[in-house]
Amino acid sequence: MIEIDAFEYRRIHRGSPELLFACLTTPEHLTHFWGPEGTTTPLDGIVVDLRPGGVFATTMVNDHDGSTYTMRAVYVAIDRPHRLVWTEPSGMVTTITFVDLADGRTEVITHQAHVPEAYRDPRARAGFATSLYRFAAYAAALPS
Amino acid sequence: MAVVQDELSLIFGALADPTRRAILERLVRDGDATVNQLAAPFAMTQQAISKHLQVLERARLITRGRAAQARPCAVDAERFDSAADWIERNRQLWADRHDRLAAHLRRLRGAHD
Repeated sequence: MIEIDAFEYRRIHRGSPELLFACLTTPEHLTHFWGPEGTTTPLDGIVVDLRPGGVFATTMVNDHDGSTYTMRAVYVAIDRPHRLVWTEPSGMVTTITFVDLADGRTEVITHQAHVPEAYRDPRARAGFATSLYRFAAYAAALPS
Repeated sequence: MAVVQDELSLIFGALADPTRRAILERLVRDGDATVNQLAAPFAMTQQAISKHLQVLERARLITRGRAAQARPCAVDAERFDSAADWIERNRQLWADRHDRLAAHLRRLRGAHD
């Protein structure tokens, strides 16, 4: 049986692994892209203590009502500029891998394991059938 | 039970199997059914189907009647949707984040070119 205990997202960017690694570990870079749509992540709300056991925290401010949400993670492993691992209190482990494509581009692979029930959101409900097909597509796209 | 069990991974694991997805589809389409009824379309023993049902039940994607001997199965659609929604929203979050990162990288290149 395939274990689907993981989430993966891949993207290829123009830039060296070093630059992409810097973007994901430097508050001055993170503030430009980290927060979800409809939020900003002010520089003074970002903590990066880049060492195993160090804190990685980002406070996102809702553009509409000013409410804030802080993601507080702890770095587990840092292998510059190849790999970055952090955990969140929910138990979710996020691993970012930077693959040098040797043509000026870098593939950034985000892998999340132990995705927790806490991330379930009762608000957005799609039809059951729709969900089933999305799941089937998701399962089909997984590496076997 | 004081388990810190990863519920979502249980759901994912349960849904990874095509037979179990087919069982769920059948329950959604035709309503509650017994093991016998569920086993009928498959070239599988009732025992094999029962094992699949146990996995679905452990993931709480289905519930089974306790009183009747036949223990009819019913689907828990809300729980199922919640897992699918998480994947969809998380994918969107990372996609947006990388869109903005790409824009940020373009600005950096522009500043240095």
